[in-house]
Amino acid sequence: MGEMMNRLPAPGRAALLAVAVSVALHAQPRQQQFVDRYCAACHNERVKSGGLSLAHADLSRPGAQPKLWEKVARKLRTGVMPPPQAPQPAEADRQALLRQVENTLDAASAGRLNPGRTETLRRLNRTEYQNAIRDLLALDIDAASLLPADESGHGYDNVNVSELSPTLLNRYISAAQKISRLAVGGTQTSLQSDTISLPADLTQEDHLPGMPLGTRGGVSALYTFPQNGEYEIQVSLMRDLAGVVSGLRTSRAHEMLVLVDREPVHTFTVSRATLGNETLNEKTLQTRIRVKAGPHQLAVTFLREGASLIDTPRQPTASRFNDRRHPRTAPAIDRIAVTGPYDATGVGETPSRLRLFVCRPAGPDQAREEECASTILSALMRRAYRRPVEKTEADKPLAYYRRGRANGDFDAGITMAVTAVLTSPEFLFRVESDPKHVAAGGAYRVSDLDLASRLSFFLWSSIPDDELLDVAAGGKLSQPGEIEKQARRMLVDRRAHNLATNFAGQWLRLRNIDAMQPSGNLFRDFDANLRQALRQETELFFDSVVREDRSVRDFIKADYTFLNERLARHYGLPNIYGSRMRRVPLTPDSRRGGLLRHGSVLSVTSYATRTSPVLRGLLVLRNILGAPPPTPPPNVPALNESTMAANLPMRERLAAHRSNPACASCHRTIDPVGFALENFNAVGQWRDLEVEDQPVDSSGALPGDKEFRGIDGLEAALLRRPELFVAALTENLLTFALGRGIEYYDAPAVRNIVGGAEKDNYRFSSLILGIVKSVPFQMRRTEHQ
Amino acid sequence: MFLSKKAIPRRALLRSAQAALALPLLDAMIPAATAWQKTPAKPVRRLGYVFVPMGCDHARWTPPGSGRLGELSPILASLKPVQDQLTVITNLRLQNAYPGTHDTSNSAFLSAASSKHTESSDYFLGITADQIAAKEMGKETQLPSLQLAMDLNLLAGVCNNGYACVYQNCLSWSSPTTPLPSEAHPRVVFERLFGEGGNADARRAALRNRTSLLDSFTQEIARIKQRVGSPDRVRLDQYIESVRQLEREIERAEQGVANNKMPDLDRPVGVPAAFADHARLMFDLQILAFQADITRVIAFQLTREQSNRTYPEIGVPDPHHPTSHHGNDPVKVEKIAKINTYHVSLFSSFLQKMKATPDGNGSLLDHTVYLYGSGMGNPSLHDHENLPILVAGGAATGLKGGRHIRYEKGTNLSNLHLTLLDRVGVQLESFVDSTGKVEELFDQVDVA
Repeated sequence: MGEMMNRLPAPGRAALLAVAVSVALHAQPRQQQFVDRYCAACHNERVKSGGLSLAHADLSRPGAQPKLWEKVARKLRTGVMPPPQAPQPAEADRQALLRQVENTLDAASAGRLNPGRTETLRRLNRTEYQNAIRDLLALDIDAASLLPADESGHGYDNVNVSELSPTLLNRYISAAQKISRLAVGGTQTSLQSDTISLPADLTQEDHLPGMPLGTRGGVSALYTFPQNGEYEIQVSLMRDLAGVVSGLRTSRAHEMLVLVDREPVHTFTVSRATLGNETLNEKTLQTRIRVKAGPHQLAVTFLREGASLIDTPRQPTASRFNDRRHPRTAPAIDRIAVTGPYDATGVGETPSRLRLFVCRPAGPDQAREEECASTILSALMRRAYRRPVEKTEADKPLAYYRRGRANGDFDAGITMAVTAVLTSPEFLFRVESDPKHVAAGGAYRVSDLDLASRLSFFLWSSIPDDELLDVAAGGKLSQPGEIEKQARRMLVDRRAHNLATNFAGQWLRLRNIDAMQPSGNLFRDFDANLRQALRQETELFFDSVVREDRSVRDFIKADYTFLNERLARHYGLPNIYGSRMRRVPLTPDSRRGGLLRHGSVLSVTSYATRTSPVLRGLLVLRNILGAPPPTPPPNVPALNESTMAANLPMRERLAAHRSNPACASCHRTIDPVGFALENFNAVGQWRDLEVEDQPVDSSGALPGDKEFRGIDGLEAALLRRPELFVAALTENLLTFALGRGIEYYDAPAVRNIVGGAEKDNYRFSSLILGIVKSVPFQMRRTEHQ
Repeated sequence: MFLSKKAIPRRALLRSAQAALALPLLDAMIPAATAWQKTPAKPVRRLGYVFVPMGCDHARWTPPGSGRLGELSPILASLKPVQDQLTVITNLRLQNAYPGTHDTSNSAFLSAASSKHTESSDYFLGITADQIAAKEMGKETQLPSLQLAMDLNLLAGVCNNGYACVYQNCLSWSSPTTPLPSEAHPRVVFERLFGEGGNADARRAALRNRTSLLDSFTQEIARIKQRVGSPDRVRLDQYIESVRQLEREIERAEQGVANNKMPDLDRPVGVPAAFADHARLMFDLQILAFQADITRVIAFQLTREQSNRTYPEIGVPDPHHPTSHHGNDPVKVEKIAKINTYHVSLFSSFLQKMKATPDGNGSLLDHTVYLYGSGMGNPSLHDHENLPILVAGGAATGLKGGRHIRYEKGTNLSNLHLTLLDRVGVQLESFVDSTGKVEELFDQVDVA
């Protein structure tokens, strides 16, 4: 609607506004009745519940007070208001009022565009940095080891990215130096040593996902070897807390393989005899291998003994890593140290060298070398700075090239120059500056190049690729249909997996899975394998909705999921074998399906020893319904845990939430949502009985809606009003896309997107396309004076 | 040896440590604008902690008599060369470490607090003394503090008697819920402190390169400034300020290189196979860290509680932990004493090196205080009474040394923590369950 308004000539716009206003005036008496009856009792000048009084709110012109009325509309639409104890309006009346208010707000917004203002300077966050290096230099790095974690804002870590501390700047410089050396291929011969560590709670008794068949445990990692040469591989085994190698009970020998790109290059024999004194560091588990420079799949794992050879003891748990609870029955790998290169013999053609060296010097003289260097750097800078570069701009890094060349060879020069490019603020920061001709507080169209970056950092969390950059540099991105074409192309690209990992990981708090530690007493069978499977189930599921362009309704209720044997066992689902995560069609009695049944989501909203209806209720209200409760009051007294008996059913334990009026005002909305999920325990397993074998009472309700029972009821209630969920998802996607929090003035755009998506059955691509064509995405507001 | 060619000998790492000249405090080292210019520079104060597990054999640990430290006990004999800078304290205790466990011995050592009995992620302890010091002293250094250890494998889940492994792994806690991980790999520690290392020329070149990159960064920021409005220019000025701060740090580092205080720094690549070599390397890194003033607070876990390490090199092929449950069997007790002696000897070598390293108008040892000890007293009883505790160094801060303080009744270790914090300029009313200070560290003692 906003865009249509934009294209109308001025008189047309005025006419439409006039119609909207007259509609408002005509409907006023009825709407005023509504407000008087259902709102005014609390939201008047005297009582001012929640700090809001509607006494001076003008119902005839909501467009004049958009901040107030958007807030009212949100509360009304999500059913949070009127509160549960108060009289509820008829559904038809509520919808009528909402329609009228929202239409007016939309019309008013169209006449006074406010696309919001993203920060002018936004640095690449850690994920974006890692992806940018991958796409720029064909080099896989572990940014987590080079850069500190980012702060989150509004739930996403690409929002508060305008700070640059000295520590961070220092780390960017160190990272650039390390990366450029690795990309060019190490003209230095200093030894480099890295350690690949495995999680301490990883069960290695059986085949792990991604490892070669016929093996058990261990790890396979993509490691970039800086040069051709020999590398020392030192393996350390998992030990128990007494320092003894775990799992070496009998005198049996275990074969441990070292594989490079799936080819075995060395075999170790691990047994009590070969290890000598168990408590010393293993000196015998080291070997040298000869490897070519570049990325290779390095794996260390054990040969899996045939079942007939082992007298398989009964295994009550799948987890085996803690010598107190569930000891290992076979040795496992703790970490692998890779040191080298020894006897280095230069560097061949690695993927990063192929990407970087777009030319070779035509001759050995300085002029021709510098010409090629200039070409290389210009090509690099164009991609790194995400814009066309003048030939003269290459002079800056060329100075660094000369310095490196003076002390070494051509490659050494290029290495120094690449470092300079990677430490430039033009690479590290995205800069969106206001054009001169636009008035203060006015809206302008974001340039094609800035739009290209917005698009690629939204869908891929990375730099634009060559095609997108060419289109934008040619000024074609703003032409009709082009951005839609590019967005569709980018959605089917492999890099769009970013949405499943980076976006969904934050939207659903999946990153917390790595930190969660369920109580070992209560949840004995929880290990790193399960952690990984839980996370992958959700990532693969989200990805499938993106790839197959399914309706986002499937997020709420689906008839399939992704499982491997470990996860299926956790859920109690039969007949799934093997470590590979595979798509599984579900029957209704499986009790699995949509996101709210995923063990991942259910676990990160629980504590170590029990579920938390409050955390679950909050997640659903905030991220699924778009109805965030207000923040708790400042002086909530600490819970005196000892007074709440642990053997009471959950509903009773949270009774104080309801009995204390100061708490109840919010918790009577939050808790019932979480109670509906009480059939899932703290690690996402189904239960019919809770503590002391009392049956779970899963009756719950969404705000403003009738009571239901259990997850089935919750899903049905959400699907009855899908526009609420779609709006919440859109707001989250928009936050992630823009890198700023969503404000009241974005609401018309969100409504527009949801309305457009509805026509397409809420397919995922319709949300994405709606976002990239929206006013907040395509435009920006200048600074207010 | 760990590598198939000779592991880099420790001696090569510290080529010139012993031969370094005593540098007088040059005028140029004193900031011109301060009143310090006319007075001797404030002696740098540093704090170090070394933890050993499973208590000791008291009979061979406790020196005879009290007051002046005369004849050293068998376990402490190796400390003779630094005896005048050493104080042995007898009868300190950790009330809050009870019930007797290995985890709480470790976690209470620097915190004097009781550990919440949990094996999940809802652990709760307190702020350790070294972190209180680091909050103050860490303001002027690159790293507020350093956490070192000797055991490379981390444990997960439950460790002992229902306590989470963090209690046994982590000596330092920066808040009741924030255990700080420690590093046992010499290379990783080295890289944290010195980056790539190398000789003085290489380090100078690396620093100059960094400065040059920062210059370019600043120039490009200036160009961007022209494209943006005034509020955003403020933001860009903040970036420039970060650059300036970084440049100052580099300047400090360059001065360090220029004054030739640092020897050539060869980056260690692997972990030495022998315990003593690994430990000496970790101690050497502490000296380097102090010399380069990268940090002034270090906590070092020499071995983990419950360690099953064997020490065949000193004639104890039995694992430490089971042996420590000696039940008064004299054979086992003697083995424990040997292990105690071994650990102390490594500490003694370190102290002697510190004494031989010049710093300001004295030695590194004069300006550094080290606390060495265990959170457990009698390992066979698993108690936390009469802990083995040594205080070394710190002559410039007023510590007298050369004495044996013997308390009549069990006195809280937190008193000692309170005292040492005070000596490095962090004055607190109290620390956890402290009842006073250990004033005896500073009394004049009658030479009897």
